[in-house]
Amino acid sequence: MKREITLRVNGRDETLIIDDADTLLEVLRDRLNLWSVRESCGVGACGSCTVLIDGRPASSCFLLAARFDGRVVTTLEGLSDGRRLHFVQEAFVEERALQCAYCTPGFVLSTKALLDENPRPSDEEIREYLAGNLCRCAGYADILRAVRAAQEKRASLMGR
Amino acid sequence: MTIRSFDLLRPRSLQEAVELLQKHGEDARVVAGGTTLVILMKQRALYYPYLVDLQSILGLGEIQNENDGIRIGALTTHRSVETSPDVQRAFPSLAQAFSCIGNVRVRQTATVGGNLAHADYRLDPPPPLLVLGAEVTAFGPKGTRTIALKDFFRGMYETALEPGELLVDVKIPFPPANSRAVYLRYTALSANDWPCLGVAAYLERQNGRCQDLRLALGGVASTPLWIDGLAFAEDQTLDHALIDKLLDSVDRQISPTGDLRGSEWYKRRMARVFVKKALEELL
Repeated sequence: MKREITLRVNGRDETLIIDDADTLLEVLRDRLNLWSVRESCGVGACGSCTVLIDGRPASSCFLLAARFDGRVVTTLEGLSDGRRLHFVQEAFVEERALQCAYCTPGFVLSTKALLDENPRPSDEEIREYLAGNLCRCAGYADILRAVRAAQEKRASLMGR
Repeated sequence: MTIRSFDLLRPRSLQEAVELLQKHGEDARVVAGGTTLVILMKQRALYYPYLVDLQSILGLGEIQNENDGIRIGALTTHRSVETSPDVQRAFPSLAQAFSCIGNVRVRQTATVGGNLAHADYRLDPPPPLLVLGAEVTAFGPKGTRTIALKDFFRGMYETALEPGELLVDVKIPFPPANSRAVYLRYTALSANDWPCLGVAAYLERQNGRCQDLRLALGGVASTPLWIDGLAFAEDQTLDHALIDKLLDSVDRQISPTGDLRGSEWYKRRMARVFVKKALEELL
């Protein structure tokens, strides 16, 4: 079935005619050209298709877009204001927490969601939260440092 | 489009959902969180021309504290159970079981009702819910009924739900103060994977003796498995002699089939190891 939905994507309302069988990933990539949203495992295990829905991380590869009419979706493209990178992105750059960068959008969004939920996570909590994001270059040590750096940046932006 | 075209039907009430299921019969399937169903349809392992979406019905995703227990709506996500202060306080073993599933995104999407109705033999929630004496509420063409979770799992991916019947919520009674429950999962592959097996144990103790001892296992039979016939433990001290008898009882009732996470032989060995560990945690 075809239906019209409106998604608030990266701060803009996008009204689209979609098919019930379209995944959110297909709509974001193929219709809205948001190519930071990447399909890899296809079953929600790897985290490369991570987006935020109402601020919470979700695997867009197995969600039906038709079920998210009216919801707020954030992809990596929506984090920066266009002039300056978002502080989580800055932290990943400064800590060199990427190599091939295929997984990076997912890690950045998951890190943002983690810090919004839990501004002072323990090492264990960081590992637990990010366990569902896989980096096949295995840059995990750098990524963990980037999360700590992002936490610091967030704290100073929020005035602690 | 990866998924073959289908119609998503969005009822506004349980009554309407049941009518849609009756109208479309085997061409329709209920979708709750959709984690499993949508993936299977993407992989073209399953196809239904109609999906009846329970997310369009309000009020199915709540955790309610009642006088004698906690009621968890079918559309409550794993993440909500895991992080619910009420669940953490009353049923720590359950909160912990839900916190181990997949990853945070999966737990944000997958639902308690979907998990139970899917009736996969190796999922984490059924064993701890079984030992806590949970029961489910079903709503269908003939009205509402309650089914003890013990009687709910009927076979591989088969439940006691009749055609057109929906799982509405699961109720878990508050356990007495002299009780404790644990859930242990053993993963043979990565930590986020489905478990090789899971063991839930529950013990009510009076004057140092077992009053009510319950065991349930996942991954070692075609359904989540409630272990029968443990009345012999009543009035006994939970010592190593009794644990050995309990292990034999478990061994007689499980019927594991080898899968990617362990052969039949291996699962039998690990069932003994983890039932023993679980019981020792209750000592």
